[in-house]
Amino acid sequence: MATTELPLPALPEAHHEEPAGIVEYLTTVDHKKIGILYIFTSFAIFLAGGVLSLVVRWELARPGLQVLGENTYNQVFTMHGTLMIFLFAAQVSTGLANYMVPLQIGAADVAFPRANAMSYWLYLFGSLIVLSSFFVSGGPAAVAWTAYPPLSTREYFQGTGMDLWIIGLAVVGVAGILGAVNLVTTIFRMRMPGMTMFRLPLFTWGVLVNQLLILFAFPPLTVVFALLFLERNFGAQFFDPTFGGSPILYQHIFWFFGHPEVYIIILPIFGVISEVIPVFSRKPLFGYRAMVFAFFGIAALSFGVWAHHMFTTGLVYLPYFSIMSLLIAVPTGIKVFNWIGTMWRGAITLSTAMLMALGFILVFVVGGITGVMLASPPIDFAVNDTYFLVAHFHYIMVGGLLYGMFAGFYLWFPKFTGRLLSERLGRWHFWTFLVGFNVTFFFQFLVGLDGMPRRIADYQIQRWETANLLSTVGSFLIAVSVVIFIWNFLVSIRRGEPAGDDPWEGNSLEWVTSSPPPSHNFHHLPEIHSERPAFDYRHRDNPAFAGGVHSDPERLDRG
Amino acid sequence: MQPRRRVPASRWLAVAALVLAAAGCTPQSVTEQGQAVWSLYRLFLYIAAVVFVVVSGLVIWSVIRYRRRDDELPTQTHGNNRLELTWTLIPTVIVLALFVFTLRAQDKVLDTSGKPDVNVTVTAFQWSWRFTYVGSGAEIVGSPETIPEMVVPVGQRVRVKLVSADVVHSFYVPQTLFKRQAIPGTDNTFDLTFEKVGLYHGQCTQFCGLQHSDMVFRVRVVSPGEYQSWLAAATRRGQAGKPGT
Repeated sequence: MATTELPLPALPEAHHEEPAGIVEYLTTVDHKKIGILYIFTSFAIFLAGGVLSLVVRWELARPGLQVLGENTYNQVFTMHGTLMIFLFAAQVSTGLANYMVPLQIGAADVAFPRANAMSYWLYLFGSLIVLSSFFVSGGPAAVAWTAYPPLSTREYFQGTGMDLWIIGLAVVGVAGILGAVNLVTTIFRMRMPGMTMFRLPLFTWGVLVNQLLILFAFPPLTVVFALLFLERNFGAQFFDPTFGGSPILYQHIFWFFGHPEVYIIILPIFGVISEVIPVFSRKPLFGYRAMVFAFFGIAALSFGVWAHHMFTTGLVYLPYFSIMSLLIAVPTGIKVFNWIGTMWRGAITLSTAMLMALGFILVFVVGGITGVMLASPPIDFAVNDTYFLVAHFHYIMVGGLLYGMFAGFYLWFPKFTGRLLSERLGRWHFWTFLVGFNVTFFFQFLVGLDGMPRRIADYQIQRWETANLLSTVGSFLIAVSVVIFIWNFLVSIRRGEPAGDDPWEGNSLEWVTSSPPPSHNFHHLPEIHSERPAFDYRHRDNPAFAGGVHSDPERLDRG
Repeated sequence: MQPRRRVPASRWLAVAALVLAAAGCTPQSVTEQGQAVWSLYRLFLYIAAVVFVVVSGLVIWSVIRYRRRDDELPTQTHGNNRLELTWTLIPTVIVLALFVFTLRAQDKVLDTSGKPDVNVTVTAFQWSWRFTYVGSGAEIVGSPETIPEMVVPVGQRVRVKLVSADVVHSFYVPQTLFKRQAIPGTDNTFDLTFEKVGLYHGQCTQFCGLQHSDMVFRVRVVSPGEYQSWLAAATRRGQAGKPGT
C-alpha cells in the first residue's frame, strides 16, 4: 500500500530560502528560529556558568584562599548555580522542544507563535537583568542559588544585586509559564490527522510532561520570589519569626518548585534518549506505553517529594517524603530497563549520538542510586549539604543533562543545518567528557562522605586536598571537551558532510522533511500508522511493514 | 573496535575498588545514634553497587553483542509484558525493603526518649557557635578566629537544643553522621551519645553568609571525671564575667 499524501490547506509552494539575517531573527515568530535563539542563548549562559565553576574549582584546588576573597567566592558559586539551574538547564530543552515538537507532530508551527517569541524575549531580558547584577555596587547575590531567608533579606544582604536576581528570575519564570501554555496547547491541539497521543514520539511526550510540570511548579516559584521581594523592599514579614513569619515557609514553597524542577530539566532528556536509542539500535522503543506511564509516574511523584530537601530541618514528616522519594526509583528504573530492552537483539551503531546516550545511562544510574540514598533520612542527615550531595546532583545535572543534550544535538544537528557533525571530533568530545566528568565528580562523593561541606571558600582539613585537586583537574578536562564540541560545531556548520534529509534512518516525522526544514515545515506528510511514521514511510513498499502493521501499538508483537 | 572486548573484566575490578573506596571513606560513627546510620548506609551502598553492575553490565553486553553487522533489520519487538512487570516489581520490592530499614534506623537516630545526662544549648550565629551548659553557668563562645570547643562526657546522653541567633545554619559533626539545621524562631532537639574519647571536627553546613567557611567548631569527648572538673572550671570562669573561651 502506497502512502498517500495528505492535502494540507494553503501550503506555500516549495521555494529556495535565503539564510536568515539578524533582522529576521529579531522579528521572527518561526518556532525553529526561536528554538535556535533559545539554544544559543542558553548555551552562552552555560559557558558563563561554566567559567564560574572553573573559578570555583581553581580556588578549591588547594586549601587556603588563593584566587578569590570569601565574598567573591560566594558570589561566584551563587551565580554559577543561578545561571546553570534557572537560565540554562530549564531553558535549553525548551529551545530543543521549540524546534522539534511541531516537526514531530506534523504541524506548521506552534499554537501561539507570537506568544512564543514573547516568551523567548522575556527569557533573554530576564537573564540580562540577572546578569546586570554583576555591574551594580555590592555585586551579584551571594546567598546561594536557593536564597534562603533570612540570609537573603535586606537585613543580611543589602545589595541591589539580590533584587535584580529576584526580578530577573521572576521574569524568566513568567516566560516559562507562557512557553508552557504554548507548548502544551501545541501538543494537544496541533497534531496532524492520525497522530494520536499514543503515536507521539517519546521526545514530544517528555516535553509535554515537562511543560505540564512547569505549569504547576513555576507559579509557586514566582509567588515565593514576590514574597521575598516584598520582604526585602516593603517591610513584609512573611519569613521573620519575630512577627509570626517563618523561614521554613520559604523553604517549603521554594522546594515545591525546586524538586519538580529537577524533572523539568531531565524529562526532555529522557525523551531525547528514547529517540536516540531506537534509531541507532534499529528497533522500536521497547515498552512504549510503559515509558509514557513512567513519565506521568515521575511527574506525579515529583510533587510529593519536595521536603526531602528539608530532612535536616527537623520540621517535616520524614516517612512520607522518604517513601515518595524512594518510589521515584521505580518509574525511573522502568525507563532504564526499557532502553536496555530496546538495544537487546538490536543492530547497534556506535555513532556519537549513541555513545552520548550510553554515557547518559551510566552516569544517570550513578546519580539515581545515590539519589535513593539521599531519599533515606538517616543517610541524608549524614551527607546532606556535603560534597556527596554536590556530586549526586552534578551526576544528574551535568552528566545527565549534558550527555542528553549532546546526544540530541548530534542526532538533530543534521536536521538543523543539513550537515553532519564530525564523528571523529565527536568521539574525542565523548571520551574527554567521560573522563573529565567522572574525575571531577566521583571524588566529590568521597570527600563528601568524609564530611566536606558544600559552599565553603576554604577548607582546613589537609586530607581533602587530593580529592579536590583531582576534581579541579577533571573540571578543566570537561572544559577541553566543551571546546572540542564548539570546534566541531564551527567546522561542521561550514564544511560538514551534507546530511540529506534522513541520515540516521530516523523514526519520527522530522526525518520526512528536508534538512533544514522549510519555514512551513513540510511540503508533504505521510499518513500516520504508528509511532514511527518515518520508518513506515521508508518501508512503504515492503509488504512486511506496510501500513505500520509492524509498528502499530494496537497490534504489537510483544515477544 | 576489537579492544573493547577487554573492557568488562577490568571494569568490574574498577567498580569493586570504587565501592570499597566509597565504603572506606565514610567516617566510622563515634556516637551510638550514628551506628544505625553507618549500617544503613552500607546496606544502601551494596544494593546500589549491585544495581550499577547489573545495569552497566547489560549496557556493555548489548553494545558488544548486538553491534550492527549488516543491513538486515533486526526483529521489531515492541515490548514484553512479563519482563516489564518484572522490572517494575523487583525495584518496588527493593525500595519498600529499604524504606523499612530506613524507618528502623531513623527511630534510633532521632530517639530522645532517654533521660539526658547533659543538656547543652547550641546557638549558631554569624559566624561561630555558643555552647551553653544548662543548669550550670558554663558557656563557651567562639568567633571566626577562635574555634570554640564543646566538651562532653563519653558514654553519656547529651541533649542538644539547637537555636539560631540570625540566619539558617546547620550543626554538623561528620563523625556523628548527623546534622541539623539551626532555624531562627525554632528550637531543634536531638541526642548524641559519644562512644569514643577524642577531638572531632564540626562545621556549619548551611550556607550562612560571608564567613560561612570559617564557622568551624570542635567536639572534645572526655571521660566523665574529666568532664566534671572541666565543667566546674568553666562554670567558675563563666560566673566570673564570661570572658569567652
